[in-house]
Amino acid sequence: MTDREQYTPGAATGAQVRKGGENWTLILARELRHSPEKVWQALTDPAQLHEWAPFDADVSLGTAGSTVKLTTVGAPTPHVTETTVTRADAPKVLEYKWGGNDMRWELEALDGGTRLTLWTSINRRFIAMGAAGWHICLDVLDHLLSGTPLGRTVGPEAMKFLGFQRLHAEYDKQFGVDSPGRPK
Amino acid sequence: MKIKLTSVYVDDQDKALRFYTEVLGFAKKADFSQGPFRWLTVASPEEPNGTELQLALNNNPAATAYQQAMFQQSQPAAMFFTDDIKGDYERIKSLGAEFTMPPTDVTGSTIAMLNDTCGNLIQLTQLARW
Repeated sequence: MTDREQYTPGAATGAQVRKGGENWTLILARELRHSPEKVWQALTDPAQLHEWAPFDADVSLGTAGSTVKLTTVGAPTPHVTETTVTRADAPKVLEYKWGGNDMRWELEALDGGTRLTLWTSINRRFIAMGAAGWHICLDVLDHLLSGTPLGRTVGPEAMKFLGFQRLHAEYDKQFGVDSPGRPK
Repeated sequence: MKIKLTSVYVDDQDKALRFYTEVLGFAKKADFSQGPFRWLTVASPEEPNGTELQLALNNNPAATAYQQAMFQQSQPAAMFFTDDIKGDYERIKSLGAEFTMPPTDVTGSTIAMLNDTCGNLIQLTQLARW
């Protein structure tokens, strides 16, 4: 077991934004040393999502057309949204919505590993916060698949975490935004 | 155990933030988001560390039904206390808010009711001095 206290997120890298309107698109790419099939399972299976994602799913996200309830983890009041999986081409492309946020995952095979890219729409005021949150989630996912789990780090718990504030500030700077909620 | 927070449901959090700050005169306290969830609270500038009011999105059927039923029965979704209800009435009215009841003397207090534009009636109360 890796101790989460020893985990420090790396620098804010691998993210891009596409600006326009109220909702911008965050594009976060990560290379993982795990096969697309293994990563696909982690993106769709409720039990695995429970270990790393910022939401719980009541059923698998891996079937196009299925209706899935997503519960945001760590929200101070219960927050459940329903989505229909619009695309599930295993193990390559997965699309659904998390509330009003479009979610698109792309998996490309890469020397025995996977290049994983997340495209997600986020209100521009919260895009740096979202980038920091997903950055940490993908670290937690990577450790989970490597058999050295850090433990899910989402919601207010993630924000208390020192590395989160640093990442948030770094992404703010990279995206040229000033987020309203970030402690200075 | 302390009461630190109370909530009202609103139909639009951006609109609510504008109304509760620019019209009512509260100050934004917390504003963070995780995915579709947005935690948004305001507090009174007279009591910055006092009870926070959460402006919660009414995006579930139970919240919407509750909010509409309260509104239709002219029941306030929240009540704020003031030492100067006449002054607050004039100030808030001049900023464009619609009052469904002007300051009215009732037993032990003067009350007024306004529409918060987000699906709620809000009561202002000034307790009578004894």
